Amino acid sequence: MRPILAGIETEYGFTVEGRSVHDQIDDSMAFVRAFPGGGLSLWDYRYESPRHDLRGFDVKALAYDAIDARFDQGRARPPAAEERSDRVLTNGARFYNDHGHPEYATPECFSLRELMLHDLAGERVVLQAARAFSEKIGRDVRVYKNNTDYHGASYGTHESYLVPRRHSFAALYEAVTPLLIARQVVCGVGKVGAEAKGPVRYQLSARADFMQEAYNLETLARRPVFNTRDEPHADPDQWIRLHVICGDANLIPSATRRKVGLVKIALHLLDAGLAPTWRIPDPAESFQLTSRDADGEGRIVLEGMNWTTPRQVLESYLDTFDGLNSGDEELKSVARETRQLLEDRVTRPDEFRRHVDWAAKRWLLDQFREAEGLSWFDPSLQSLDLAYHLLDREEGLFFGLVEAGEVEAEIPLEDVIERETQAFEWGRAHVRGLAVEKFAPQIRTLTWSNITFSVGDDLVTVPLLPDLRYDPASLGVESVTDFIAAIRSANAAHETS
Amino acid sequence: MISADRQTQREPESPERKLGDGDGPSKPDITRPTVPNELLKRMKNVDPDQAKKYRQRSGQ
Repeated sequence: MRPILAGIETEYGFTVEGRSVHDQIDDSMAFVRAFPGGGLSLWDYRYESPRHDLRGFDVKALAYDAIDARFDQGRARPPAAEERSDRVLTNGARFYNDHGHPEYATPECFSLRELMLHDLAGERVVLQAARAFSEKIGRDVRVYKNNTDYHGASYGTHESYLVPRRHSFAALYEAVTPLLIARQVVCGVGKVGAEAKGPVRYQLSARADFMQEAYNLETLARRPVFNTRDEPHADPDQWIRLHVICGDANLIPSATRRKVGLVKIALHLLDAGLAPTWRIPDPAESFQLTSRDADGEGRIVLEGMNWTTPRQVLESYLDTFDGLNSGDEELKSVARETRQLLEDRVTRPDEFRRHVDWAAKRWLLDQFREAEGLSWFDPSLQSLDLAYHLLDREEGLFFGLVEAGEVEAEIPLEDVIERETQAFEWGRAHVRGLAVEKFAPQIRTLTWSNITFSVGDDLVTVPLLPDLRYDPASLGVESVTDFIAAIRSANAAHETS
Repeated sequence: MISADRQTQREPESPERKLGDGDGPSKPDITRPTVPNELLKRMKNVDPDQAKKYRQRSGQ
């Protein structure tokens, strides 16, 4: 099986004492710029193509949130590059302002564990920026790793997966969509209440209310279960980037690993021509029905008046994956763990909640609610929900659960800290980070898929291949010309292999 | 559809039984683990109106 490169982008929520949502873009720019950890602000926007659709066409314009447009009335927006305030870090990550949210895009990783660690390193980078911003302006700044403001505004945690171009839109859609609906049961972060479609006490997913269509190109409004953005950040003749926008921002690290691992399992089944066939006429409806059934099994409506459960859908992927006899130990571990969790949800709920955010949060809130005699519809429950996502070890409720030993053991902190400044896999992210660390004065622009250097009077652009593991020995050179030569040599050897 | 006014939900006056919104299965008759006092204190320190005041721009 081919190793699948993947990354996670998280848009963080934040508040600044004495400031409002009207100031959010200005504050987010200043937030990102306050990051004390260095990096390079030379992102090349020519390679961004958010209006290309996997179905083979371009749209003229993307939908914009009408409420946000009201916030912008009477305010001049800065030029796009200035507004983005992009920073490429020495670990190969990208840190920037996206629509008024500090966004951390992890370096791309082949390994699930590496990606999980970089997601955690991202939390620390964002917190460092928040503290520096707070000190600079003399106001309290609070950061939330979450996806909603409970008033109908949502911001995403997106996943990216490298997929061969030979797969059609239809094949990719059919292979992945049932799993995206079903994985909420073992990956959702939970949410008190609803922001669409009538009241509910508690949901599995923070994003489900915002999944309104089966598939389309949009991300700011009319969000789909399956996003069709065709922006591969690699050779478009060879690669697609599957852009998943329906997932939640997990606090429990194993849930981050699981949500990505399950999609990788679906992609391996697609590669093998063995993806389970589930005909789901209205994926958005089934996504929401699953999310709203925190007490039951969930219901996924199928063609012909039939229905199934998220558990049956997940087990169909896991059974087929077992039949592949994969040698990928990380994915085998995700498959085993998911099976156990599906069983634990029914038979050992106190074990289940140690590994799944929605269940951990619901247990905590339910205990408090019963002790205080509150209804699930009491507004303070949403405040406690928000506090679960607060990135503050002294006040955040998730970190309170960690401290009390009520969720799984923490990842060793040193493993996370190391990744704030370095990528440990020798994929293209490592090469990008190394370039920023060693050759910053010679870099003119960077993007996910290439770096342009200034060498003498020339500009030299070198591609970074997404499926290549570069040789650390050959890149340990001191001159930029040797560095460029080493990348080119590795690329050439890979392309002829 | 997402409301243009972005209203937070209110408790229904006459809640109907819906999928996932009913009483659910009855609780097993066992002793449940309880939230440690330190964590309960942390929860009591949360401003009950925090979510009401929390407004964000839509992201992607």
